[in-house]
Amino acid sequence: MTRHGRKPDETTLTVWQVIELARHADRPYSMDYIKRLAPDFIELHGDRLSGDDPALVGGVGTWHGRTTLFLGHQKGRSLKERVARNWGMMHPEGYRKAIRLAHHAAKFGFPIVSLIDTPGAYPGAGAEERGIAAAIAEAIMEWFRIPVPIVAAVIGEGGSGGALGMGVADRVIMLENSIYSVASPEAAASIVWRDNARKVEAAEQLQLTSRDLLAMGVVEEVVTEPEGSASADYDAAAAVLDEALHRHLQPLLLQPADQLLQHRYERFRYIDSLVHAEPHFGPKV
Amino acid sequence: MSALAKAHHDVRIAGSKLPDVPLPTNCPGCGNALELDAMRKHNYVCPDCGHHFRLGADAWIALMADRGSWKERWGDVRSHDLLNWKVPKPYEEVVEQLLADGLNEAVRTGTCTLAGRPIWLAAFDFRFVGGTLSIVAGERLARGMEQAASSGTPYVLVSASGGARMQEGVLALMQLAKVNAALGRMHAAGVPYFSVLTDPTFGGTAASLALLGDVNIAEPGAAIGFTGPRVIKQATYADLPPGFQSAEFQLAHGQVDLVLPRTELRRLLAHLLELYP
Repeated sequence: MTRHGRKPDETTLTVWQVIELARHADRPYSMDYIKRLAPDFIELHGDRLSGDDPALVGGVGTWHGRTTLFLGHQKGRSLKERVARNWGMMHPEGYRKAIRLAHHAAKFGFPIVSLIDTPGAYPGAGAEERGIAAAIAEAIMEWFRIPVPIVAAVIGEGGSGGALGMGVADRVIMLENSIYSVASPEAAASIVWRDNARKVEAAEQLQLTSRDLLAMGVVEEVVTEPEGSASADYDAAAAVLDEALHRHLQPLLLQPADQLLQHRYERFRYIDSLVHAEPHFGPKV
Repeated sequence: MSALAKAHHDVRIAGSKLPDVPLPTNCPGCGNALELDAMRKHNYVCPDCGHHFRLGADAWIALMADRGSWKERWGDVRSHDLLNWKVPKPYEEVVEQLLADGLNEAVRTGTCTLAGRPIWLAAFDFRFVGGTLSIVAGERLARGMEQAASSGTPYVLVSASGGARMQEGVLALMQLAKVNAALGRMHAAGVPYFSVLTDPTFGGTAASLALLGDVNIAEPGAAIGFTGPRVIKQATYADLPPGFQSAEFQLAHGQVDLVLPRTELRRLLAHLLELYP
C-alpha cells in the first residue's frame, strides 16, 4: 500500500484493507470537508449544560447560498490534537451539544449536514458517570423531532451507537472507503470470541463496507472517491461529497416539515424491510 | 409497612406462580442455602441478603401479568441469518438451539393487566444471545409501542441485555433508531412508559429505550451502563471503583428514579398506573 493507499477496487481490496483506508491517518477529517464546503464556517461551542466536546465540531456556514448547520466528528491530526479531540470519540456533552445545535438550526430553518467519523462513543469511566447511554438514547429519539432536512455522510469510521447518535437523518450516504458497523471489529471480536486479536475474522463477518450497507438498504448512496482514495486528494474528495450531499438535500428542502418527519420515521422504522420481505419474518401489523 | 405497601397490600408480589429458575445451592451474596419454593415465593430474591437472581422473560411475564391476562403478540416473528454468520459458531445453529430450548428471541411482548389495569409489557430474555437487540426484538418492541401510542395503553419494559446483536451486524444497530422512533411516538401521545432495568442492561439497549422511561426503576445491585467494565479497563487502563455502574451508582448519577427490590415492584407499578391514568 502506498502512503495514501491504493486505488480502491472491490475485487482486490480485502475488508481489512478497506478498514485501514477508512482509518488512515491521512484521510480527510470533518473540518477538511467543512472548510471546503463552507469557507465562512463559524464554529459554535458547548452544550449549554456543562461543557464542550472537542470530538464533535458544530457550527454554521454558507453552503450553496444557504446558511447550513454542520456537525462532524473530528479526529486529531497531531498526537496533541488527537488527545485533545479524544480520537473523535464523543462524551455525553457532544450529543447534548449536537441536539442543542439541531434545535438552533430548526429555529432558523437551517438544513443540517452531519459528517460521521468515529470509532465509537468514548468507552471511559467519566462518560459513564455523566450518562453516555442516556445522552445517546435521547439524541437518537430527538433527531426524529427536528423539523429541518438532515443529510448525513459517513466519511471514515461509523462506529456503533456513537455513530448512530449522529446518524439519524433523512438521507445517509457513505464515502466508498468508509465503514459503518454495529461495533468496531476489535469490539465485536472481544464480544464474540472474547479475544480482540480476532478482529480480521470479525470484520469479514460484520459486512461493514459501504457496498455492504448499500446492499442492505441502510444507506442511499456510495460516493466514489477520487483516484487513490480520499486521502490522496482532499479537494476532489470534498467536491464529490459536496455534490452528493447537495443533490440529496434538494428534494428535502421542498417537503413540508410534517412530511419530512413522517418520511424520516419510516426510513428507520422499516430500515430492515429487506429482511421483512423474507417469508419467515412473520406478519406485518 | 410503608404507605405505598399499605395502600396496595392487596396487590400480590407476583401475578401468578413463577416458573422454576435454576439456582445454585448457596446464595452468591450471603452463602446461605437456597430452597427453590421459598425463593419462588419471594420472586427469586434471597430473603437473607437481598441478592436478586436473573429472571427470563417467562418469569417476568408470570411476575407482572395478572393470572390468565397475558396475550403474547408476534411470537411467530423469526430471526434470520442475514449475514451468513459462521464463526466461531453458525448463528443459525445458535438460534435453532435456543428455540429448541423453548426460548423465543431476546424480547417477548404482549398485552396483559397488572392489578386489573391494562398494559403493554415487553421483557428481555438474557438467555437468548445475551438478551441482544435483534431485528425481531426491535420489531416486537416497535410494533407494541406504536400500538400503545394509538391506544394510550401504558407501556412497561423489563430490560436485561448486552446491547445490539453482533450477528445481525449494522441492522441490529439500526434497531436503536427504529425503537426510539416508535418510543418518540409514544412520548408524543402522552403514554406513560415505565422502564424496569435489571441485571445487566448495557450497550445499545441502554443507549436506546431502557433509560428513556418516564420512570426508570432499577433492581438493587443491577449492573447498568453503556460500555461494560471489561472493555473500559481494556481501553483506558482505569481502575473502576466497587459499585461502578450499579443501580445505586446510576441513582446517584441521576439516571434512574428508584432502586427497588423485586418483591415491591408490582405494588409500585400498580400505584404508578393509578398515578398516571
